[in-house]
Amino acid sequence: MGKKNSVEKMILNIPSDLKFLGAVDAAIQDLAREFLFSQDAINDVSTALIEACSNAIEHGNRFSPDKRVVVTLTFNGDAFYASVKDEGPGFDFSNALVEDTSPPELMSERGRGIMIMRAFTDSLAWRYADGGLYVELSKLRRGDASGEPSE
Amino acid sequence: MKITQREVGSALILDLNGKLTGGPDADLFRETFKTLMDQGRRNFIINLEKVTWINSTGLGILISNYANVRKDGGDLVVMRASERIESILYVTKLNLLFKTFENEEDAVKSFTQSAR
Repeated sequence: MGKKNSVEKMILNIPSDLKFLGAVDAAIQDLAREFLFSQDAINDVSTALIEACSNAIEHGNRFSPDKRVVVTLTFNGDAFYASVKDEGPGFDFSNALVEDTSPPELMSERGRGIMIMRAFTDSLAWRYADGGLYVELSKLRRGDASGEPSE
Repeated sequence: MKITQREVGSALILDLNGKLTGGPDADLFRETFKTLMDQGRRNFIINLEKVTWINSTGLGILISNYANVRKDGGDLVVMRASERIESILYVTKLNLLFKTFENEEDAVKSFTQSAR
């Protein structure tokens, strides 16, 4: 039975190594299913969160074995919230977005991380605090896992 | 990530298995591709059927490989992407860059047709 009407919080503290992305994905998949998110919504959340964690590991902590990434997942009946915090020097998100679809820009190898996080969530924000960058995202729960609207 | 190769018609199919992200997986894909290009291969089909996820770094490697092969007169197409990966290609507009195919037959045929 799902926990649609309760609140659950989980904190993952992972090393700066991409192999731990699997643990983040597994946590999201299990928790979101318990809270009756549809599989599409779970995949959206997971895609956005994997992107945020990848950025934290690669660009924030630069794969440093001395630095950690802290992922906080909160579910309630209506929404999923996550924050990802690294220990890096910060990053200017505003200059890192490829939105032009003309051929030279389309061939750019960078700038799609924010596009992915924004597309698969309902809100995306970032701030620098406590010696690291926080990326915060949310996804509203629409309908039940059966795919039927909740109303 | 594991990469296996097989030749079908005029194309080389690379079956990727695992996660296409940065780090060692990215290095393996980049190096494998470079070696194959150095050997003269130009027509590539990337089979994403067993790729569980891809992130923006993985997309960057796909784009880099695509750019290199196009520069040398070849092509790189993608096949059997899961719904999840298809949607990532769509939101990043890379569906406008790569030809994507649902099955192997059509992907292979695209090279035969372009050679005519």
